[in-house]
Formats: sequence, C-alpha cells, structure tokens
Amino acid sequence: MINWIQKIFFPSKIQRKQSTPDELVPEEGTEKVLNGDIQSIHAEMNKAFGKSADFKAGELKIGGKRGFAFYLDSMTDSKGINEIITKTLSDPTAKQYRINNEEELKGFCREFFSASAYQIISYQHELVWQLLSGSAVIVVEGIEGAVSIDLKTSEHRSIVEPSTQTVVRGPKDGFVESIMVNVSLIRRRIKNPHLQFEAFQIGKDTRTTVYVAYIDNIVNLGIRNEVIKRIKSIEANAIFESGNIEEFIADKTWTPFPLAYNTERPDSIAGHLLEGKVAILVDGSPFVLSVPVTIVDFFEISEDYYEPFMMGSFVRFIRYLSFLIALVTPAFYVAVITYHHELIPTQLLLGIIAQREGVPFPALVEVLLMEITFEILREAGVRMPRAVGQTVSIVGALVIGQAAVEAGIVSASMVIVVAVTAIANFVSPVYSFASASRLLRFIMILLSAGFGLYGVLIGLVAMVAHLSSLRSFGVPYLAPVAPFVWEDQNDVFIRFPIWGMKKRPRYLDTQAPIKQPGSKSPTPPPEGDGS
Amino acid sequence: MKLQENVSVIQLLALVINFQIGSSIVVGLAGQAKQDAWIAVLIATVVGVGVAYFYYKLLSFCPGKNLYEILEFSFGRIIAVGVSLLFIGFFFYIAARVSRDFAEMMTSAILPNTPIEAINLLLMLLVAYILYLGLEPLARTAEIFSPYIVIFFGLLTLLLWVSGDISIRQVQPVLAYGWAPIAKTVFPDLMSFPFGELVVFTAIMCYTTKFRYAGKVAMVGVGIAGLLVGFSTAMQIMVLGVDSVARSNFPLLSAAREVSVAQFIERIDAFVVFIMMLGIVIKCSVYMFAAFKGIEYVFKMPYRPFVFPITMVISLFTVMIAFNFAEHIDEGLNYTIPYFNATMEYAVPLILFVVTYIKVRKQRKKKGAEKA
Repeated sequence: MINWIQKIFFPSKIQRKQSTPDELVPEEGTEKVLNGDIQSIHAEMNKAFGKSADFKAGELKIGGKRGFAFYLDSMTDSKGINEIITKTLSDPTAKQYRINNEEELKGFCREFFSASAYQIISYQHELVWQLLSGSAVIVVEGIEGAVSIDLKTSEHRSIVEPSTQTVVRGPKDGFVESIMVNVSLIRRRIKNPHLQFEAFQIGKDTRTTVYVAYIDNIVNLGIRNEVIKRIKSIEANAIFESGNIEEFIADKTWTPFPLAYNTERPDSIAGHLLEGKVAILVDGSPFVLSVPVTIVDFFEISEDYYEPFMMGSFVRFIRYLSFLIALVTPAFYVAVITYHHELIPTQLLLGIIAQREGVPFPALVEVLLMEITFEILREAGVRMPRAVGQTVSIVGALVIGQAAVEAGIVSASMVIVVAVTAIANFVSPVYSFASASRLLRFIMILLSAGFGLYGVLIGLVAMVAHLSSLRSFGVPYLAPVAPFVWEDQNDVFIRFPIWGMKKRPRYLDTQAPIKQPGSKSPTPPPEGDGS
Repeated sequence: MKLQENVSVIQLLALVINFQIGSSIVVGLAGQAKQDAWIAVLIATVVGVGVAYFYYKLLSFCPGKNLYEILEFSFGRIIAVGVSLLFIGFFFYIAARVSRDFAEMMTSAILPNTPIEAINLLLMLLVAYILYLGLEPLARTAEIFSPYIVIFFGLLTLLLWVSGDISIRQVQPVLAYGWAPIAKTVFPDLMSFPFGELVVFTAIMCYTTKFRYAGKVAMVGVGIAGLLVGFSTAMQIMVLGVDSVARSNFPLLSAAREVSVAQFIERIDAFVVFIMMLGIVIKCSVYMFAAFKGIEYVFKMPYRPFVFPITMVISLFTVMIAFNFAEHIDEGLNYTIPYFNATMEYAVPLILFVVTYIKVRKQRKKKGAEKA
C-alpha cells in the first residue's frame, strides 16, 4: 500500500537515472584504455562531443607516425597551440625522432614539451576530462597512452575593488571568478607552506572545481574533516556559485540566518584562515565561503582591524545597534501607536496623532504598505539596467517620500521609521545576514500588531532561542557569548588592540591556540630605566 | 546527533537566577511581614542556599542520574513511576500557575483588551518552541538575557531614585512587630515559594558539564537571586509604602509606574514587563522541561513529540485553574503552598534522601567487602 502511494506521489524515487555522462565517469571496470587505435578514438571523440563547433581534431605526424591532436578551441590558447604543438612538431630534430613504444613517447615529451605542463594519460574518460579542462591531447598510432598538454587560457575579469564590503582603509582588491587568481590572492597574503588547498570536483553535470583551504597546523582537524566530508557528499548536478555549496553543507536549512560566511575580500579570508577556519573557494564565483561561523563574525569587517581600536570598537557597537533597529523599529512603532500611547512623551504623541488624523489605515496596514513598497524599490534598484537607474530613484523618492504623505496615505513619522529601518539594514557588512533581519522584521511587525510590545519581546526571545539552537560545523552560533567564553571576549563587542589579541578563538579549538605569545604593548620603557 | 545535552556552569547559574526571580518579582513576597518583608526574604535566602545544597547532595549520591532515575534506584521502577507521575503533575501545575501569574498581570496592566487566553497561548507557544529546541538553547537563552535583567534592575532603581520616589522612611521602624511575623512568613511560605521550588533542578542539575561545581553554583545563584528579590521587595516598600504594596496585586509594576524623569521618561512599566517576562519564560520552561524529562522516564521515549500537544493543554489548563486572580492567589497561598509544595519539595525528597543514603552506603560497604 505504502509502496503504491510512493509510486504515485514520489515517482522520482523509482526513476533514478543519473544524467552524468558516461564518457566522464564510467562505471568501474568499463574504463576504455587508450590503445593506440587512433581512428576509433577519433570516432569516439567525435561521438562524445557531437556537433560542438569548438571541438577540433587535427591530424598530424609525430615521431614518424600518424597521430591526432584534440582540443577545444574555446578552452585553449590558440597561440599556445601554434607555438607548442605546430612548431615543435615541425622542428627538424623532432622530425627525426622515432616513437615506437610508450617509453619513447615519454622521452619525446621530456625533450620537446618540457617547457609546458604535460602529462601522460591512459584512459579515454581522462582524455575527455583533459579536453574539458583546457588541454590539448595528442594520440599516436600504435602507442598506448596519450600526451595531454595544458594550454588553458587564463582569461578572467581583472581584479577590481569588491562591490560588497567596501572599505575606506584597507586593501582594495577583490576576488574574481577565476579560482586560480583567487588562490594567488590568498597565497600572496599568507606565505606559508602550511596553507593548503584541497581540490574537489563537484556537480555531476558541471564538474566545478572547488578548493577547500586551510592552514594545516592551525585548523581544528575535526572541523576540517567534517567540511571535507560534507563537500564530498554533495550530490548536486550543478554548482555555479558558492551559495549552492552553502546550502548543501549548512547544519540547518530552516533558518533565515546564514551558516557560512561569504566575502569578496581576500584579506578577510586570510584573516579567517589564520584564526583557524576553513575557506571554500568555488570556481566561477567571486564569493569565497568561510566556516565555521558565529554570529559575531557578521558584525565584523576587516577594516575594524586597520583602524584605531577605539574606532573599531565604536563602529562595531553601531553595527549591533543597527541590527536591532532594522529588526524592531517598525514593530516597535506599531506597538506603541496601537497599544502603548503612554510610552510616548505627550508633546510627541500629540504631534503623531495630528499627523495620523488624515490617514485612513491602522498602523499595521500603513507600515506593511510602506515596507513592501520599499522592498519593491530595493529589488528594482538591484535588478534594473543601470541606464534607467535615475528614473527609478526619482520616482521612488517621490512616491515613498513626500507624495505618499501629502496624499494622506501614510503619515510623515511612518516615512521616517521606514527610512531609518532601511538605512540601518544596509549597515550590516554581510549582505546575506542583512536579509535575515529583513525577513524577521515582517514577523515582528505582525506580532506587534497583535500583542504590542509583549509580542515583540516574545518574538525577540524566540529569535534568540532559535539562534542559540543553531550550530555551524558543530560550533554554537552564539559562541563566544552563549556559551560564554571569557578568553574570547577581546574580539566581540570591543576590539582589543592587536597586540592584546594573543590567542585564537577558543571555541574553534585550534591546534595552536596562542597566535602571538610575545606581543607587547608599544609603551616605551620609563625614562632613566638604566638598561 | 548528540545524545546528551549539557549545561555549562555559567548557564546553570543563569538558569537558577532567572528561575528564582521568575514569578517572585511579579507577585510581591512576604506581605505579612509588613515593612520587614525584605528581612524575611533575606533570611529565607539563607535557608534557600541550604535547600539548594540539600538537593545537590541528593543528586551527588548517584552522579549523572536525574530525580526520576534516583527514584528508581531507591524504590524500584513501579513505585518510582508512581512518584514520578506525582512530580510530573506537580511540575505541570506549577508551570501553569507561573504562567497564570504573568498572564493576569498582562491583562490587568498592559493589554487590558486582550483576552487572557491569547496572551497565555503566545507565551506557551514560545515555551513549547524553546523546549522543542532542547535544554541547551534554553540554557543559552537564559545566559544571554541575564545581563539585561540585571541592567534593567539597576536602571529601574536609578530612575526611581532620580525621580525622588525612594524614601527610606517607608521601611522604618525596622522590626516594629518583632521577629514573629518574619518567622511566620519565612516558614512555610517563603520556604516553599520561591526557594523550595529549586526541587525542579534535581531533574536538570545532573546535566551540568562540571557536576562537582553544580552545588556551589546553585547556591551562589540562589544567593544572588535572593539578594535581587530582597532588594526589589525593599524597593517596592520604599516607593509605595506598606499599605499600597499590600493592596497592589503587582507591586513592582506599580512601583515602576512612579518613575517620572524630566517629563520624558514616564510610564516605563511596559519595559519592566520585559524583566518579568524573561524570568517567567525561563521558569515556565524549566518546570516544563523537568516534567518532560519525567515523561521521558515514565514512557521510555524521547519527549519531543509530546512538547507541542502537552504545552497547549497546559495553556488551556492555565486559564482553567481559577476563575479570577483573587481565587488564583488564594489557592496558591492557602492550598498549594502548605499541602502540595511542602510535600513535593521537602517531604518526598527527604524520604528519598534518607533511602538513597542508606542504599549507597550499603553498596559501598559491599564493594569494600568484595575488594577486601
């Protein structure tokens, strides 16, 4: 009976056919060996790549034998093909070279291709894979194996300032879509052989390269192994962005809060790695992930550490405050207007009531109207073509501002509330964290409309309870506040001077808990000290 | 998934403080002692510290076992299930009472037009959600909000002082009626409520990560909470005077209404509710958690599936235990405290203590004999 219901409602459970191409991941035992029969290999490749216009197969002569060179036009550097293959093969000494077996093929490569990265491959699926990752492959008649020469084009967007998390003081370079460039951006900051990048291929159809980076004598091995385990167990067909990975490896899906940190800033990632965290780089995405994360990380930005520590601590306080403002201001307004008039000083109350006199809606409708209008404007602002930006901003400013008030649809104080909320929301350094407060704000508004401040408080306590139930790779989300860790308080609400931060966060339980044991305050010794 | 949830030492401290403050600052304490109520509370605190030590000692006979498992250890499963059911009923009943205290205050002072059922339901939904998440989130929530409770207390005192409402004369003359009324309030009223209520921690304390500190921490927690409650009692009397406190249903709330600074900060009672609500939520959740642990023991299955249905039933029960607030308080003072509380908080644990003590000693002797 149950099976029968399953068949009707969950047919996918039965038809479990993978779309993975057999050419890439053959079943075990059915791998085809490159056996030197170049005609059949040519035919197989033609079948595999079908009508792709960028697939090229050129016949050539190598070591006195016939051969084929395969490559994808789009992935390889045409200049490289020209120089390395054509020139090498037309070289007189190369023409005299004779290849009769695999050993001699290797010798040929040593002699003539040593300037470029090459490798000998022996299976057909490897050949396909090499072509797809930008190599040219040469097969020789009657010789087992093939030569694959790396001719990847290194085309990428130039390194520019990140569009999120901009800083006033601090490095201005940002990650780009090419994973190799991103690796180099991190490596340049940490010149340490212990910084390691483990590579994985994720996505059955896309075969996206994913790097897991960590510093192996600092990172907590349990956390690192857990990250690798979760990454390996991803069964996705396509990975385009680190956001895809994030959803697969998060500890909990039903939460508006992000359980991995994402940033475009190489200095942030370098800092996180040195704290003992694990970074995840995804080819094709300028956003690099870092795990495990605690809520405190979302209120920090690398600039905090470049500015004087008092300033750094102050802006951090401003960020915490703004999060709270963005979360509860509209709800608080609704609660006070609807239930708790006595909380407002009389003068102000009279003013607000006078404004609201012409407004036909209850506070709840008014606030929802404005909030939703604002969310629409905001979405339009992100998505619209740059050319029409002017129009939207003018219309938006007029609609949401004066006109709505003059038309008597909303009160002027409501406009202030929505504006303050919106601006406070933009303070959050990490965009994905700000969207959590965007969502929860509406729940708070509804609670406050029903129960006043009591509802808002219930909502806040429920949110805190939810936050304290979250974990990111086993690390409690609210660490080091709850559970309270005294040693880690030097980087939570107040950022201590850099020389005062001697230890790595204890909640990460790193292999090297002390990072700079000898750091001292720069105070000079008192005069006349003698020594 | 982790099988065992643990509570850190700091979290236990936060839980105990919040729990003890809980409903005792909502409804005033020790009204019979007149202006010496604060002395009564402080004396009861000293007793309460002793009580905390007693419960700790009871648990330390069998480390890692909670109340119900110790019951089984001492009396065998059949009797243990019976007594556990009694405890479960007691905990649920007190949880309902606690939530009723708060809901009554909300309806009479903050949200007069909202029916008590709605207020209660929302509170219980929150409690159910926290319990569904588990003990750890409960403890962490308590940990996070504790500093705010102390800050709000300090702020309230400061504001009352600034607006000139505190007058030390209201508590004079000290000991005008002698020690007799104080002794009468300490025993049995204050002994059972709030200090004897620590009995629920016999179902929780055993999950502390460093159990050997648990006793000390619980004692410190009771001490701090007692000082805070004593302080708030004294403040209520100093602000309102003995007669108003006696007449007021929710003295701390009435006291907070007196605040008026620079004609700007006025009527902050909605904020005072904040302190109270946290205490109530924690207290209610702790009671419910202890009861659910009992259910887990009796029915031998995880408590999570029970959380929402039972909590909703309790929410209904809360409304039905009394027709109005006067009856609710009357029941509390004249029936619950002398009969129910005294039995479950002192009589049963005392018997359990003696039996467990004898049994543990016997076992040790046996082991010693085997070794020798």
